[in-house]
Amino acid sequence: MMRLAVLVLAALLAAASPAAAQAPLTAVRVPGSGPIVDPGAGVWRAARGVTVPMLPQTVTAPQKPEPAVNTLTVRAVHNGGWIGFLVEWRDPTLSTRIVVDTFGDQVAIQLPVDVTGPTPSPMMGNPGGRVNIMQWRAAFQHDIDYGPPSVKDLYPNAWTDYYPDEVLSATDARPYTGALGVENPISRGRASPVLDQMAEGWGSMTVKPDQHALGTGVWKEGVWRVVITRPMVSDDPNAPRLTPGVKTVVGFAVWEGGNQEVGSRKAWSPWVPLVVGAAAPARPAGATPPTGATGQPAGGRR
Amino acid sequence: MARVHNWQLGREMDFPYEARRPDRQFAMIFDTNKCISCQTCTVACKTTWTSGRGQEYMYWNNVETKPYGYYPLGWDVHILDRLGVQPLDGPVYQGKTLFDAAPTGEIILGYLPEDIDYAHPNIGEDDCTGLMPQGAHLSMPHMQWMFYLPRICNHCTYPACLSACPRQSIYKRKEDGIVLLDQSRCRGYRECARACPYKKVYFNAQTRVSEKCIGCYPAVEGGRQTQCTTSCIGKIRIQGFLGAPDAPDPDNPLDYLVFVRRVALPLYPQFGLEPNTYYIPPVHVPPPYLRQMFGGGAEQAIATYRAAREDRKLLGALLLFGATPEISHFFRVDGDQVIGYDAKQAEIVRVPLHEPPAVRELYDVKHRAYRTNIT
Ligand code: SF4
Ligand code: SF4
Ligand code: SF4
Repeated sequence: MMRLAVLVLAALLAAASPAAAQAPLTAVRVPGSGPIVDPGAGVWRAARGVTVPMLPQTVTAPQKPEPAVNTLTVRAVHNGGWIGFLVEWRDPTLSTRIVVDTFGDQVAIQLPVDVTGPTPSPMMGNPGGRVNIMQWRAAFQHDIDYGPPSVKDLYPNAWTDYYPDEVLSATDARPYTGALGVENPISRGRASPVLDQMAEGWGSMTVKPDQHALGTGVWKEGVWRVVITRPMVSDDPNAPRLTPGVKTVVGFAVWEGGNQEVGSRKAWSPWVPLVVGAAAPARPAGATPPTGATGQPAGGRR
Repeated sequence: MARVHNWQLGREMDFPYEARRPDRQFAMIFDTNKCISCQTCTVACKTTWTSGRGQEYMYWNNVETKPYGYYPLGWDVHILDRLGVQPLDGPVYQGKTLFDAAPTGEIILGYLPEDIDYAHPNIGEDDCTGLMPQGAHLSMPHMQWMFYLPRICNHCTYPACLSACPRQSIYKRKEDGIVLLDQSRCRGYRECARACPYKKVYFNAQTRVSEKCIGCYPAVEGGRQTQCTTSCIGKIRIQGFLGAPDAPDPDNPLDYLVFVRRVALPLYPQFGLEPNTYYIPPVHVPPPYLRQMFGGGAEQAIATYRAAREDRKLLGALLLFGATPEISHFFRVDGDQVIGYDAKQAEIVRVPLHEPPAVRELYDVKHRAYRTNIT
């Protein structure tokens, strides 16, 4: 009953969403091939930055009525094979260390799986209205850049006598490894800091068996610049087909770990119109370079 | 919100899910009068289940000294303070549950402890309420007091952890009411750790998801009591199953002690979770403290307990504590013995109601030594 009420409300909100008033995001055709993962790459200068207002998630419990991030600046490009989104926001606190009372910074991009059908609920889809959610996590980025944190990394003064994996065979020690032992995908950032997922409504988020999303996040001077990229077309039935000329929608969610934002305690955007550009315009009107961009290729990470 | 019946409150209450009672409910009874805080239970659980990386300060079983011991720090006073003063008198609880008290946009009233709060599992250990001044004397209840409170997950009938999880990663088993947290489904939101007023869900910073007591389900499925029960030095525990609160079986030792004799009481029943670990209250502690912690039946429970010597069935049930590693589904007092039976009514243990006194010679001829203790 509660779920139905939520869906009805979500549908109402979808209908009343300010998508029409929102400036559309155009994925500009750029030269090149392969994944677009570098937030400092020159290709972003071709794309117009769109400001996306972020709202507190207040439809379902639990909530964070005052999330820290109010706007994102988003750019999109594609090279015919991969589509990339550069998302930037101000975040004065770098949150990558996750212990009991700390949460990581995160950002997610949501696309309808069926880009030609009815628009799903902007709130993680609805039954029959499946969405593809690609979520970048600062903690995963940290795992990839610096290696997964050991107990000593998290607690420099920690001391233990020994662990099961030091005295038992790998098989016998496995029961002591918890979620790592059952390969819970959220335990570690592995090949990519971005989780490729699908959902059909609240609580239904599933990490897909095939991971196609890639990306990179860099935090510098209080600003996160995160790229999320995916193949425009794949054989994954739960991925959108984003061929040139497609007009669809895209949604965003952001979590400020330093403000204890996690799960449904987040800021989200209504749907933003998304156009997959057919060809590169000579010079996009009003194009501005992304925040902090120098025109140089990315000079490495933090 | 669904309406459910909470027998511990004597009334219906709101719960976020439709909830059906399990076929039988995993339960444990602790006799606080016998606990010596040796922490053998804590270590038994730790070596069995939580000795991995990221579990260093995780104690699914802990034993704290009341009133100044807490793990995590201040867990009960923090949530009692947030809930505020509630009326506790009378057979029907008139106050608010934690579900009733949920702030707007929350499922339940809760709080997330700080990391450092888990760093002092022994804080307050053996601390008494105060000093004994000149002229102090022994009285009941004691003028100054402390007691040991062993705790595990309560495998609540209406679990806060389960109701707060947006992903339904926590589930309550129909066959025995054990509450489990799915290690492959959890995404580390810590809503459960925030919601559980007993703070019996823990976060593992190595795996980035939450973990909790599993009720030793592999042992329980095999008819054996949990590790923390069978290892208990003080024989203060019994673990088994509760039946339906409205149709208790007087031959089931847990039904008998909890429902029939009401000598074992739930921990902070006012929270509204219908917790399923039960405590025989300490006889020497002032009643107002016990009423807050165990509900209005605390004084009656103590009176019943203190008369157990003359009460053969009650004495028999109490003597099953620590008597066998197997789960006693039924019991019967036969002559001067109590007999425990397994689920198939086969005898598993026999305990004398009275230890025959043995008196030894003061002088041990063989060892050529005097004995200081001859009974
Ligand atoms: S083993 Fe038994 S007596 Fe010792 S601390 Fe645990 S519950 Fe108390
Ligand atoms: S004690 Fe806490 S963790 Fe255990 S079932 Fe109850 S609410 Fe859940
Ligand atoms: S029941 Fe088992 S898992 Fe739970 S506290 Fe006791 S020993 Fe640990």
